[in-house]
Amino acid sequence: MKINMKNQRRIENLKLSLDVFLSNKAAVAGLIIVMLYVIDAIIVQVAPSILGIMHPDELIPNFISPAPLPPSWAHPLGTTYPGIDLLKSILKAIRIDLFYSAFVVIIGAAIGSVIGVISATIGGLMDEIVMRITDIFFSVPYLILALAVGFVMGRNLTNMSLALVIVWWPIYARYTRSQTLSTKESTFVEAAKASGVGRLKIIFKHILPNALPPVFIQVSLDLGSVMVIFSTLAFIGFIVTASVPELGYLTSLGLNYVQSAPWAVIFPGLIITIFALAVNLLGDGLRDVIDPRRRS
Amino acid sequence: MEQNILLVNDLRVHFFTRRGTYKALNGVELIIKKGEIFGLAGESGCGKTTLGLSIMGLLPRNAAIITGKVLLDNFDLIAPLRDFAQKNINNFNFRRSENIIKKLNDKLVNIRGKKISMVFQDSMTSLNPVLQIGYQIAESFIVHQPNQLLKRKLARVNAKQNQLEEILDMLKNGASEDEVVAFAESNGLSGIEEQVINVWRRNDMSEANKEKIIMSLHSEKLGFFEKIFVFSNKNKAQSLARVPGFSRMYKNTLIKEGYRKAVELLSMLEIPNPDRVVKMYPHELSGGMRQRIMIAIALANNPELVIMDEPTSALDVTVQAQILELIKSLKGRFNTSFIIISHDLSVLAEVCDRIGIMYGGRIVEISSKEDVFKKPLHPYTQMLISAIPTIESQDLRGIGGSVPDMRNPPNGCMFHPRCPYVMDICKTKEPKMLEKDGHLVSCFLYGEDS
Amino acid sequence: MNLLNYIIRRVLLFIPTLIGLTFIVFILSHVSGNNIILAEYINPKLTGAARQMAIQKLILEFHLNQPVYIQYFYWLNQILHGNLGYTTTPIFSGPVVNAIELFLPNTIMISIVATIIIWYLGVWLGVFSAVNRDSLADHTIRIGSFTLYAMPIYLIGVLLIIVLGVYFKILPFSGVVNPILVSNLPWYVNGISYPTHIILIDAILHGSWNVALNAFLHLLMPSITLALGIVAGIIRILRSSMLEVQDQDYVRLARSKGLSEHSVNYFHAKKNAMLPVITLFGLTVAGLLSGAVVVETIFNYPGIGYWTTQALLSSDIGGIMAATLLFGLLLVAANLIVDIVYAFIDPRIRY
Repeated sequence: MKINMKNQRRIENLKLSLDVFLSNKAAVAGLIIVMLYVIDAIIVQVAPSILGIMHPDELIPNFISPAPLPPSWAHPLGTTYPGIDLLKSILKAIRIDLFYSAFVVIIGAAIGSVIGVISATIGGLMDEIVMRITDIFFSVPYLILALAVGFVMGRNLTNMSLALVIVWWPIYARYTRSQTLSTKESTFVEAAKASGVGRLKIIFKHILPNALPPVFIQVSLDLGSVMVIFSTLAFIGFIVTASVPELGYLTSLGLNYVQSAPWAVIFPGLIITIFALAVNLLGDGLRDVIDPRRRS
Repeated sequence: MEQNILLVNDLRVHFFTRRGTYKALNGVELIIKKGEIFGLAGESGCGKTTLGLSIMGLLPRNAAIITGKVLLDNFDLIAPLRDFAQKNINNFNFRRSENIIKKLNDKLVNIRGKKISMVFQDSMTSLNPVLQIGYQIAESFIVHQPNQLLKRKLARVNAKQNQLEEILDMLKNGASEDEVVAFAESNGLSGIEEQVINVWRRNDMSEANKEKIIMSLHSEKLGFFEKIFVFSNKNKAQSLARVPGFSRMYKNTLIKEGYRKAVELLSMLEIPNPDRVVKMYPHELSGGMRQRIMIAIALANNPELVIMDEPTSALDVTVQAQILELIKSLKGRFNTSFIIISHDLSVLAEVCDRIGIMYGGRIVEISSKEDVFKKPLHPYTQMLISAIPTIESQDLRGIGGSVPDMRNPPNGCMFHPRCPYVMDICKTKEPKMLEKDGHLVSCFLYGEDS
Repeated sequence: MNLLNYIIRRVLLFIPTLIGLTFIVFILSHVSGNNIILAEYINPKLTGAARQMAIQKLILEFHLNQPVYIQYFYWLNQILHGNLGYTTTPIFSGPVVNAIELFLPNTIMISIVATIIIWYLGVWLGVFSAVNRDSLADHTIRIGSFTLYAMPIYLIGVLLIIVLGVYFKILPFSGVVNPILVSNLPWYVNGISYPTHIILIDAILHGSWNVALNAFLHLLMPSITLALGIVAGIIRILRSSMLEVQDQDYVRLARSKGLSEHSVNYFHAKKNAMLPVITLFGLTVAGLLSGAVVVETIFNYPGIGYWTTQALLSSDIGGIMAATLLFGLLLVAANLIVDIVYAFIDPRIRY
């Protein structure tokens, strides 16, 4: 009987959350757009030929007519230098950008969160050391740090992601640390301690459920930011190989033709912007659902 | 002939929230006379603070003044809000409400802080944390009496030592303040009398010290730029003040003079070390000090009416007593009227002339301080009085039932669900204020209409 | 008194962070082995026997035959004496310190202009947006800044080029100045202007007003791009901060004193609403520095960002390591200044 009531309440809560979320039209639009990107990535990964893509991991140049062409029936979004069809390249690039950015955010968040929570719970000297280390990572602007680390590791796509993971984890470490600290000192934990609840149980039952939801929201928001930074690194020429389908790299290809072929830079850039926008709207919508204060 | 300075007529205020419409005020009738201390008592949620805010016109954008008038010296303070609410009652738009409020705020600029002022409940959050105390007090002077500030400074510049000696002699020989004022005017030193008298009245220093300070008030030198831009001609100073570079100078002179006057005001309110306090920030002071600062700000321009919202609730008992003594002394000095809001009847009994009891957004009884305790007429008042713990051990009687939900207030008389004397008429008709035995009471027990 | 204490404490915290920074750079340079030091510090112009001698000298100076943790101190010693190695990039080849001397002023110039734009535009729009909540202007500002926030900074730059540079043709978008104007000037030799290395300022100092105007026009696009990349975040924070502040009791008190709406909003409320913005200014400096790398590359503006990208593309390890050190130093110093300024403004944190 008791278990049934608890589950019933959970279902009710979920329904309420769903209602709050669905009433936010912008957030729903964001969700739909993000889903579209994910679907594209999955199709290109699993069955690229459906979209007419033969080489999902490379850009196919056409040196016979390398100059960028305006949108037409043959090339719905036009082409960029050297003769690369924009529509297909963008579809390929979405998969690359999405997967690698997701990788960066999830791994970075995971590593950072674990370190942050442990550091805050144990406290003392270890906490001080972790704080100093994150301070050091924060002392270099993120782009330059990623540049330097990636450079040293070798300038390719995978290392770019790893470099960004190294740049990104301290953010989560600090974030979860402060969340854990404030929950640790809040009155209901004191109350639990006063009634004799064990320390490990406190962490799992009280601290984590309060510290984790904001982290999830932050992860969803960061997906957009990381993709933007990822593409920025590719834009300035981080990757050595000349034919990686990546949205920032695609933009840089059209840079020399900005006067004669603006579409070559606008389309890839727009695709990233739309994704970042959608992710932000989605994240805001999630925040309204999860943060009870904002509901009223 | 007693003068009425405030008239509140059938005031009804509703708040629109996501959880429903709160009917906070339901027909408040109130008259405040000049020079009286009026206490407003009631439990939490009865609408006392809302009444205070409505009189000031400081309502948020989700408030609607359904009907009612608030007349200060025959000027209706809340007309625009009421007109807007009445026209838009079915489609109340918060954004447009906000615009009306903004326009009203700019209209009331010459009344708030000058004719009527308010002391809020929480002194820690009501003072701006990033500005010095002195600045926050000086601001009141600068906005409402800039010319007086300039006159004071000019008076110090023009005053000669022998003139100050004369004034000092006059005071030592028991001259009245009016005589000092006349002396200053006739010698072209108007502005100096205020400064001299404020120092002379201080209780925290020896006469020798006071003499020293007064004697230092002569022949002040003007800075180079001040001479040209601020004081060349008082009217000129005003117009130059609009020009960007010079207005800074004008403002600085006013601010400095404002700080001086703030020190005088604080010492009048018996705050120790006022010269140090003005340079401090709100979080550096104790609760009692902050409360006194708020009172100082409210009194800065000698308003006709001061509304105090729970002035002692957050304070220790000893500090509470000091504040109450302060209020009593102020009444004597300036003939200011006060509305003191409190849930603590004993506090009100200390200082008030008349006390009004509020319940469910209405004032149900108004009577003199003694009559409220000795001869309460309204059933609610009777129960309030008997619920107060006293030294004689008697059974503490609570009042049955609970405070009404203001989203769905009872019909007719607000108190009827809990009233032991309830009659049929109480459930359907709103009782009006009647006069009985020198009280004003709103209850069908004493008749129907006046 | 407390202010001074706070400043001293903050400065003392500065030092270990700097040391940590050098640590990171050192570790990075040693990930691929000892040769990095040689690659960085060898004067590229030397060949043959001279080069061999230089290598030997370096091995001695840096104690390269000793364990890594000892090498750190000798390397640090070199850094503190100003020896940062050599850089070989298409735009500049030679000692790193010279490169910094030439390129840093330009970056500082556009950063300052960008900061001024961010400050005035961002603060005003943020406060205005909150004061006129839900109006058409507010909605426009919010949508605009939301979109801007989502755009990568290179896209902002490219769009500005298309709109202002190509379509409307009102602003130039390459280089610091029109080369024709400076071809015969005594104070502009080999692409370097003297004495401050900032063309705009040198032109003013020398009274060449047409050069100055041209230089000013050239720096507008990079600065505006830099500013737009950051201002969106400021507007969002300031708007939400103002909305929180507007409900505060002290705002109500200010109104009850008879202050005008303008004074209440643009003085009392704003002063408190700005506090979180200033705290985050450290982050915006990080954004400025990172942004400068991209912006200078797009607009061919010779600042340290441009030099960094060039170092990346020509695999110049010395340049990259020195750039990391430099950017880190700038960021940490900026954070220090921001913390001190914040203490001036908010009296509550001086304890």
